[in-house]
Amino acid sequence: MSEHGVNSTLSEGAKTATAPELALQVKNLDFYYGKTHALHNISLDFPLRSVTGMIGPSGCGKSTLLRVLNRMYDLYPGQKATGEVIFDGQNILAPGVDLNLLRSRIGMVFQKPTPFPMSIYDNIAFGIRLHERVSSSEMDGRVEDALRRVALWSEVKDRLKSNATAMSGGQQQRLCIARTIATHPEVILLDEPTSALDPVSTARIEELLDELKAEFTIIMVTHNMQQAARCADQVAFFYLGDLVEIDNTDRMFTTPRERRTQDYITGRFG
Amino acid sequence: MTTDVGHTVTRYDQELDRLRGMVARMGGLVERQTAQAIAAVVDQNEDAALEPPELDAEVDALEREAESLAIRILALRAPMAVDLRQIIAVLKITGDLERIGDYASSIARRALKVEPLDGALSFSALRSMARLVQENLHNTIEAMTSDDSARAMEVWNSDAVIDELYTAMFRELVTYMMEDPRKIGPCIHLLFVAKNLERIGDHATNIAERVYYAVTGDMLPAVRPRGGKAAKRS
Repeated sequence: MSEHGVNSTLSEGAKTATAPELALQVKNLDFYYGKTHALHNISLDFPLRSVTGMIGPSGCGKSTLLRVLNRMYDLYPGQKATGEVIFDGQNILAPGVDLNLLRSRIGMVFQKPTPFPMSIYDNIAFGIRLHERVSSSEMDGRVEDALRRVALWSEVKDRLKSNATAMSGGQQQRLCIARTIATHPEVILLDEPTSALDPVSTARIEELLDELKAEFTIIMVTHNMQQAARCADQVAFFYLGDLVEIDNTDRMFTTPRERRTQDYITGRFG
Repeated sequence: MTTDVGHTVTRYDQELDRLRGMVARMGGLVERQTAQAIAAVVDQNEDAALEPPELDAEVDALEREAESLAIRILALRAPMAVDLRQIIAVLKITGDLERIGDYASSIARRALKVEPLDGALSFSALRSMARLVQENLHNTIEAMTSDDSARAMEVWNSDAVIDELYTAMFRELVTYMMEDPRKIGPCIHLLFVAKNLERIGDHATNIAERVYYAVTGDMLPAVRPRGGKAAKRS
């Protein structure tokens, strides 16, 4: 992997700072869009191989946090994060982190399906080629494996060379998840992954998340409270840039401790 | 169970209010049934004996109505947190209230059959027991309508006394029956009346548990304070 300029400490770094059961640990994180202070002193843990749901009204900072977790905000000038995000023993907010490698280890799926304007096969092969050199027969195997894991293989195996943009929305989103897991990440970030999908496609994605969490750590932003309740192991509620409450899902939706959480999840926010 | 902020969807609030109204009405009705049933026995009041069975149909209808509204809210609103707890509590409380109504009717139907005792058996023990049961029933319904978890807890803690009174009555009646076999019939009826009152007390306690859960989110311990051993055996 060194030929791609990999920062070796990222993959082999000391693991002292992260407890073994945590995939990611956010410590005293502040985030600024220019002068706007969007996240206030956020600290939370993302346990390994679990699903964390992040909920809150628009503008509460949940998507901002998601974008910090793979340094997506680096693409935009004027945005700044302070504090620490510990991943594999290393603060990923520190300078010198290989962002390409980071993003292959912490993958992201967006609200709207974002297939590349190329064949179904190439959509998946593209990400793999970016990070690894594999033979064509091995590539075939990797593509099939990724498509099988998102339950898309039987639907597309006869048209792998056709354009991905011709697929249905639900299929496109599953393709994007397949593309993400094809590079074998450790963490998958999902930003409202089903908000543009119909109920059947949504159910398929949720079913998929349930299977994927055996292997990956999943962090999902969702506006759908029922979805958070169904899919997540722990749920974090954000409001106006603060982490108001984080707890296991059962507790959050039956007996939240904070009044603001209760008002939000019961639909009492003005 | 409610909070002072309304839902963004006002229809949701209206539905929850309607649901609470139904349960409160059921509570009022079964309180009335219980009071009349007790009056029928201890005052040997024939008119009072007629009322509890008559009110039963209304209580049953309210139970069904509340249940279908609760199901509708569950399906349409996907309630969370305090709303969810309240609706689950309602579903269970209406069942308890309906059973209380049945016990009151059963007491009312036996009321006049204890009469041949003709004063040989004083109703004093039954009166004290009935007073406590009515008090607990009243308090649990008040706790329910005012979301008062402390009051619910009081009810939960005070059922043991009712159990003890029932045990004492059980012994007293057994003694009467052994002394004079001709009293066995009316004594058995009286024993059933006492047992039904004791069961009403248990359901009042159940309601207190649901209220406590709905308001606080915490379950009361599975084992509650209990009275005499005969109460468990019989």
